Amino acid sequence: MSTNGDAPLRVVPVRHYWQWVAGAVAMLLVAMLVHTLLSKVPTGQYLCHGAAAARHCVRQLQWRFGWNVVGHYFTSSEIFDGLLLTLELTVIAMAAGIILGVTIAIMRLSSNRLLSTTAWLYTWFFRGTPVYVQILFWFNIGALYESFRLGVPFLHYDFFHVSSSALFSPFTAACFALGLNEGAYMSEIARSGLISVDEGQVEAATSIGMSRAQTLRLVILPQAMRVIIPPTGNEVISMLKTSSLASTAGVIELLGAASNISATNYLVIDLLITASLWYLIFTTVLSIGQFYLERYFAKGALRTPPPTPIQRLKRDVRGILSKFRTHQDVPRTT
Amino acid sequence: MSTPMVDARDVIKSYAGVEVLKGVTMSVSRGEVTCLIGPSGSGKSTFLRCINHLEKHDAGELFVDGNLVGYEERNGRLYERNNIEICHERSQIGMVFQRFNLFQHLSVLENIVIGQVKVKRTAEHAATERARQLLARVGLDGKEKAYPSQLSGGQQQRVAIARALAMEPKLMLFDEPTSALDPELVGEVLDVMKDLAQTGMTMIVVTHEMNFAREVADTLYFLDHGVIEESGNPREVLAAPKSERLQSFLSKVL
Repeated sequence: MSTNGDAPLRVVPVRHYWQWVAGAVAMLLVAMLVHTLLSKVPTGQYLCHGAAAARHCVRQLQWRFGWNVVGHYFTSSEIFDGLLLTLELTVIAMAAGIILGVTIAIMRLSSNRLLSTTAWLYTWFFRGTPVYVQILFWFNIGALYESFRLGVPFLHYDFFHVSSSALFSPFTAACFALGLNEGAYMSEIARSGLISVDEGQVEAATSIGMSRAQTLRLVILPQAMRVIIPPTGNEVISMLKTSSLASTAGVIELLGAASNISATNYLVIDLLITASLWYLIFTTVLSIGQFYLERYFAKGALRTPPPTPIQRLKRDVRGILSKFRTHQDVPRTT
Repeated sequence: MSTPMVDARDVIKSYAGVEVLKGVTMSVSRGEVTCLIGPSGSGKSTFLRCINHLEKHDAGELFVDGNLVGYEERNGRLYERNNIEICHERSQIGMVFQRFNLFQHLSVLENIVIGQVKVKRTAEHAATERARQLLARVGLDGKEKAYPSQLSGGQQQRVAIARALAMEPKLMLFDEPTSALDPELVGEVLDVMKDLAQTGMTMIVVTHEMNFAREVADTLYFLDHGVIEESGNPREVLAAPKSERLQSFLSKVL
């Protein structure tokens, strides 16, 4: 192939000029964003030193985004208590949602028409009404039922009963609403996972004598997880933020705590930033958890699992170092 | 001899009004290898699936090891068996599929262990020991930790055979075990099946491998349009087909 004897041919990579331009524009925009985030503005007040003729005054500056206020409230006890409630709501609502969702999905796929219709109705209702409405509904359930009883239906015989106001505190009302609502969304996610598993897997499990429950638990669900996990991670992150609607029922969670504080000091944006930073921190943690969970359930489905970010970083660094160490090897053609 | 392993009398099966099996009668003795051949859509696979009750037959009688498949006869009535009994029956009949159907999320060893532990309630270490022996028997020792997606089709099918054998079945069903394989991989699977036949396993094999049928089968059945057109000693049947349909079928596949 080579036309000039043994001399190696120089390889000239394609130059992507427009990519460079786009990259430069993006960098410029990021720089502007960082600049404005860290900018300071005059407070309108002056700090003066000295007296009479020697007196000189300096304009006072403060962070445009009020980072000092954010820093002050970031670890305050009100915000911490709110954060704790947000996390509790998220965990309880998601746990309920996942269990309900898988159950509803299995019912939906059942050959029993009564079960599948019930499941369909559930999803139809809870997906079809705003979660905001559902929270208010459970919070105000006492208007419909004074108390709840466990007993024999239609006969007035109770094992025990509990008043609505005791059962549905703002927190439990929010848990009910968010959990039931999430169950509807999770059921569709779980269903997509279940139907993604090849029919042959069921036949194989059946042929070695597994019962339907064993087939579901040992063969179908573990394989469905691969499909179920990415959108479920999405749901967890979404729930972390949706849980802020619980403040309408009087649960002082993260956003509720932040707005309570800003109601007294009028630093609305500063406290919104404080709350948002906490949301960002936890969505980051959740995304990392999701990555490793996906990797775990991908076993067997991929010949080689995707590299972890740390492995990828190592590989990139090694690649860059090797470029500096030696000039790019040129394949010699003979 | 004793009761046949499989005894089918006028087995009928339809899907959505279309009769796929129009009265299949056959008998498979213990230790015998039976091959079912026929064009696609002739009902071979359906019949095989009726034997381990993956499909319910609509009419006729089907006995495996002297017991009615899926039913029990008491006081002149047929009682449908409950799921536990059916699962127990199935666990004694091995099945090998065209598309292997190995459990994708489990390693090769786990694929062979899971049925023993979860269905037969064998102790984990005994099951693992047996799984290793079976892997060696199908020529795959050293592949214990591999996942199905890392194996060739021929290797996957041999694992599938090991998985079925792990249940210590009294009967093995093969549903076109080599049809999804690259031609050069067919031999390794057929070799395992030949070895298995020599151990005296009762086998029913739906296949398009006429040489395998000729060499290994004791009896050959030719199915067409849901009925058995011709049957007998495979060498004789293949050498001198009597029915016109088998003649035309063989002229296409040989």
